[in-house]
Amino acid sequence: MSAQPTALQKSQSGASKAPLKVVSDQTAASPSGANIDEIAPELSGLLRVLTCGSVDDGKSTLIGRLLWDATDLYDDQRETLERGKKVDGGNPDFSLLMDGLVAEREQGITIDIAWRYFDTATRRIVVIDSPGHEQYTRNMASGASHADVAILLIDARHGIKTQTRRHAAILDLVGVKRVILVVNKMDLVDWSESTFRKIEADFETFSWRFGFWETTVIPTAAVSGDNVASASAHMPWYTGPTLLEHLESLPSRVTEPTGPFRFPVQTVLRDSRNDFRGLAGTVSGGSVRVGETVVDALSKRKAKILRISTMNGDLETASQGQAVAIQLDTDIDVARGAVLSKGDMPPLAARVLEARMVWLSETAYDPRGSYLLRTATDLTPVSNLKISALLDLETLETHEADACGTNDIAIGTIALGRTAAIDTFTEAPETGSFVLVDAITGGSVAGGVITSAKAEAAEADENTFVLTRAMLERGLNSDLGDSPQSDAEFRRRANEVALILRAAGINVEIENAPDYSI
Amino acid sequence: MTQQISHLDLLEAESIHIFREAAAQFRKPVLLYSIGKDSTVLLHLARKAFWPARLPFPLLHIDTGWKFRDMIAFRDKTARDFDLDLIVHTNEDGAAKGINPLDYSPSVYTDVMKTVPLKQALDKYAFDAAFGGARRDEEASRAKERVFSFRAEGHRWDPRRQRPEMWRLLNGRLGAGETVRVFPLSNWTERDVWRYILREKLDVVPLYFADERPTIVRGGQLIMQDDARLTLKPGEEVVNRRVRFRTLGCYPLTAAVESDAADMESVVAETLGARTSERQGRLIDHDQVGAMEKKKQEGYF
Ligand SMILES: Nc1nc2c(ncn2[C@@H]2O[C@H](COP(=O)(O)OP(=O)(O)O)[C@@H](O)[C@H]2O)c(=O)[nH]1
Repeated sequence: MSAQPTALQKSQSGASKAPLKVVSDQTAASPSGANIDEIAPELSGLLRVLTCGSVDDGKSTLIGRLLWDATDLYDDQRETLERGKKVDGGNPDFSLLMDGLVAEREQGITIDIAWRYFDTATRRIVVIDSPGHEQYTRNMASGASHADVAILLIDARHGIKTQTRRHAAILDLVGVKRVILVVNKMDLVDWSESTFRKIEADFETFSWRFGFWETTVIPTAAVSGDNVASASAHMPWYTGPTLLEHLESLPSRVTEPTGPFRFPVQTVLRDSRNDFRGLAGTVSGGSVRVGETVVDALSKRKAKILRISTMNGDLETASQGQAVAIQLDTDIDVARGAVLSKGDMPPLAARVLEARMVWLSETAYDPRGSYLLRTATDLTPVSNLKISALLDLETLETHEADACGTNDIAIGTIALGRTAAIDTFTEAPETGSFVLVDAITGGSVAGGVITSAKAEAAEADENTFVLTRAMLERGLNSDLGDSPQSDAEFRRRANEVALILRAAGINVEIENAPDYSI
Repeated sequence: MTQQISHLDLLEAESIHIFREAAAQFRKPVLLYSIGKDSTVLLHLARKAFWPARLPFPLLHIDTGWKFRDMIAFRDKTARDFDLDLIVHTNEDGAAKGINPLDYSPSVYTDVMKTVPLKQALDKYAFDAAFGGARRDEEASRAKERVFSFRAEGHRWDPRRQRPEMWRLLNGRLGAGETVRVFPLSNWTERDVWRYILREKLDVVPLYFADERPTIVRGGQLIMQDDARLTLKPGEEVVNRRVRFRTLGCYPLTAAVESDAADMESVVAETLGARTSERQGRLIDHDQVGAMEKKKQEGYF
């Protein structure tokens, strides 16, 4: 909004040419009849959209155009564009709306993912913009892990490229289930249906092998807005949805709870004033109801849900995505790191995992390195990480390997120093994914998904040193009581000792707490 | 039973999750409380995250000595009402040297009275994590900020040290000398903040509402004379005007706007109805983007 003329401004007119910052908001709304629901509606949905494509395919223009046509863009942003330099056909340069990583480019820093927020009439759209180049696999993977849907953008003149395939493989790895292939710059191929159909067929021949639930292919021209927010008059042969229609029709983030119930415990809340002891966490899958029986995956102990509490009052049920505090009818002694489930499909109390991971760190995999596994709310020392193969993103084939570095997609076996509650990614994504942490620097060296898990410890060779409970209780932890907090501290100290020993070249295992025995 | 989950419900749950992760992973967190609307929402979400327990960390307010009196009163009332541990820290050295917003340039004043004391306080109490109210939608350069933003020794922000964040997993393991800033409001927009204040019926500092206030015109802006330290220059006069504030900070540096919006609904209607972005004029201002980045590297946020 440019400064509205106010009494003050008028009285000073001529005094200064500098933009006057005294602004009156009075024209904006009548205080009496303010319609809040219109001005700041509580939107019924939220969708996170990853955008990826090669440089110059028109990604910035496409998203800019979408903002321009369909969203709550601010007046000053509109003005800036209208005043700015025009691109072909006299249209504003929509790509400026997405410009924002200038500083990064200038500093020569790794191009990063950027988050943008805008509202259509019905929902919040969060655009996660990720760089497309090969060397940015890790950025794309981390961006994609937050997305509900991904837009793969290509130039109609060039069709599907190996890069498109790479991108699809990364989306699949991190669990993106809905993909939109946007075939842009249709104006430059004379709006040709046959060109589009060929690309569509090419896409189908390779995308079927991935675990996508839904793929949609849309022909667009971003600059002129064809099939972005309004149907294209140039392509009557296309009867599918526009990009906007499609984005508005997709299910919102977490509308229906999916998968088995999972509740990774974040922390234990206590209030002595009213004898409250609640397990705080976010439901990461499924839902649960007061009165139902839940089980701790490691100790196998059971309890009934007594209350589901929030500051706004108690709830009858808690579903995926909700942050609550759960009170149980009996104290089964669970603490941070525990995962509650219902009896029928519990997570596995696992010692050995098979996983696929994107190597994020600039430091390559070190077979003797000290690593920790961060799962939903647990942090477990890794007693052995063995890389067995790398995935070739071009051919989608795996090749045997025992090393990996930045941007590699590796397949490997993770032996844990103690039992942890583990799911496979396809069963329960939030408790089936992990970040591998460098125990010394704290850095996130890899992010991955669990493909299978086993309860038995890896073949314990005679050189493995077992840190027994007795050993740990004697001196190191003699100051600890037996509250859940103390348990957590006990585990933390045991982890650190294991890491020190491991760094000294000793294979270590931590004896399970008595309850953890299978 | 179907429950309608709105986008605000999702944002709220995500923020609560972040608060709990940080409180569980760091030894000694603190909430940076600046009394304004974002801090109000931040504090409310923190209380929700640990309810019915007390907040497991204190609040820290960096007091420059030049905040509006209404802000200080609101701060103290909030701490009392919610039974909070409040730490107030001022750069005594800077105050003794008389560094003030009237005689010193904003950059010197900000550095000495805001950035330096923030570092002082974080070091003095050995906090390893500090919650802040920054949002990714505020600024182009913030659009890529992490939820856990790591700082090297000396509170330096180094882009190379930032960790990729995947799924809902937050890795808070600190390397030697590292501390972290935690941003639970990362995915909120300005609208969400206002809408949430309305929905949750949160109290905010009265300065956000229009009232008759003693103001002067200086540098083309309306400045409130909150106390006698703001002396008049030739030609200036104090006039009672009906004004309110869109943002709150040190009173000599905070411009008022003329307005009749005297309740929350009207303020939200005005603020959001005006359809002007907070970053007005900065849309493609690359200098600004770079400057912001630099400030962050120096430890200011
Ligand atoms: N003819 C035509 N040009 C386009 C279209 N979309 C984008 N462009 C142009 O392609 C160039 C690259 O676009 P940009 O959005 O910056 O690409 P990005 O690098 O993928 O973000 C610019 O010159 C755009 O004007 C389109 O649909 N048709």
